[in-house]
Amino acid sequence: MEIDIMRLAKLAKLSIPEEKVEEFRKKMEDIIQMVEKLPDLDTQGSLVDPTNTMELRKDEVQPSFPRDEMLQNAPYTAAGCILIPKVVD
Amino acid sequence: MDKLYSLTAAQMKDLLDRKEVTSVEITKSVIDRIEKTDGEIQAYTSYNFDQALQQAAAADEKRAKGETVSELAGIPVAVKDNMCTKNLRTTAGSKMLGNFVPPYNATVVEKLIADGAVIIGKTTMDEFAMGSSGENSAFQVARNPWDTTRVPGGSSSGSAATVAASQVPLALGSDTGGSIRQPACLTGIVGMKPTYGAVSRYGLIAYGSSLDQIGPMARTVDDAAMLFKAICGKDKMDATSKDYTYTPYGDSVKGMKLGLPKEYFGEGISAEVKERIYQAVEVLKAQGAEIVEVSLPSTDYALSAYYIIACAEASSNLGRYDGVKYGFTGSDRSSLENLYVSSRSEGFGEEVQRRILLGTYVLSSGFYDAYYKKAKVLQKVIAKEFDDALKLCDAIITPLNPTTAFKIGEKSNDPVAMWAGDICTVTLNIAGLPGINVPCGFDSNNMPIGFQVLGRKFSESTLLTIAKCYENTVGGFAVKEF
Repeated sequence: MEIDIMRLAKLAKLSIPEEKVEEFRKKMEDIIQMVEKLPDLDTQGSLVDPTNTMELRKDEVQPSFPRDEMLQNAPYTAAGCILIPKVVD
Repeated sequence: MDKLYSLTAAQMKDLLDRKEVTSVEITKSVIDRIEKTDGEIQAYTSYNFDQALQQAAAADEKRAKGETVSELAGIPVAVKDNMCTKNLRTTAGSKMLGNFVPPYNATVVEKLIADGAVIIGKTTMDEFAMGSSGENSAFQVARNPWDTTRVPGGSSSGSAATVAASQVPLALGSDTGGSIRQPACLTGIVGMKPTYGAVSRYGLIAYGSSLDQIGPMARTVDDAAMLFKAICGKDKMDATSKDYTYTPYGDSVKGMKLGLPKEYFGEGISAEVKERIYQAVEVLKAQGAEIVEVSLPSTDYALSAYYIIACAEASSNLGRYDGVKYGFTGSDRSSLENLYVSSRSEGFGEEVQRRILLGTYVLSSGFYDAYYKKAKVLQKVIAKEFDDALKLCDAIITPLNPTTAFKIGEKSNDPVAMWAGDICTVTLNIAGLPGINVPCGFDSNNMPIGFQVLGRKFSESTLLTIAKCYENTVGGFAVKEF
């Protein structure tokens, strides 16, 4: 099986350097060959597990983190906001 | 008293309760030990020594005042570097989080601090917990104290190495496909992956959220149990955590039925490993356990199911690392798209990128049914087989790893060979069951071997009982003089 590694990289927002493309593709093909080992199973029907009912918390207003603490790890900030490259002209 | 660092947590607790030592003395001894040996072991990515001494002093003060304290009060614990620690760098072994300082504590860390434990530092790990050798750390490769040219296993490599090298008695690890049990096995210590939901995952940097679980690593069963008891239970911050009543364990296997699944003793398992495990089974049999044969026919497919599910979840979980809100930011800010791509390509290591790509592939349109959905259906089949097998016995015994610790570099360029080593451990995560590594001797290179005891959901006390019985019968586990 041939893998379109560049398409996958694009979907995953990764860029693979040209000199690494072949290596990545080869390893990926080996891996896919390994995980392809699956039995014939009926995949119709829902994946929801009816015995595992998750409890939702009440939707209540609660104190959150202070803005300045949240921004401490942000790479670029100004005026209490996170800075990103311009997205509209 | 010299060599305080080498005591078990239970011994430390006794001395502290009898006021024969202080936590500050223990903590200083541990720090000194780490300073002397960590150049070689490389178990830590961050030290927390100043704060640890303050925590120790606080625990001492409470004891001096006669206040009731928890079992862990004043006892040093190492924490894997994928659990958030407030104001203490938490990297998940990745350049992506190389400078990340969390504004909050993971629930497990919060619980340890509330108990008065001393947080000694953050341990080395495979990047984002993806790896079985520790070699995928962006910073350093932790060493196996039994032979420092060999890996300690992974991904909780530093947690295993620091406990095995007697730098510290207790460490927290996390286990998505074997990352607590396998390094415990390769370094000859006890490591338990609790039932999914037994321990809160809040503040654990996610890999495969439906499989991830935090658990204890220690040199004795009692110590592992002490740490587990402190961290288990429901947490409102983790909707998948469950009410958990910790039940004390015993030390007798008399009358217990232990299952041996033939699928786990096949060709891929080294002869030395098998032989040691059969001997361990004989030990338990002599203590009154009944051995029954059980079957887990889908074992062969478990690796596929595991890697598909884990990588699918990882590709979603790691989508958050975009160079914008926190973490590493890329060099190309010419557009938002380029910022995302450069941040992720420069910030993630190769193995992480590989798993993201696999996850992207199995979730992509046209392949979802063939891979992801099939793996999820298979997950149910595997869980059902475990349920059926565990109706015939109280617990199941298997090898934990096909081989003993391998040399650094031996498998690092062959992901398929590395992944294949996880065959004995991933099945539990898929089924959500608990499992524990119990050390059971050495191979001809004097490298540790371990067996796995696994059981029904929330049967940790049964697993601990079996492990404790074995530990008592063989007169305790060997500790590496390092």
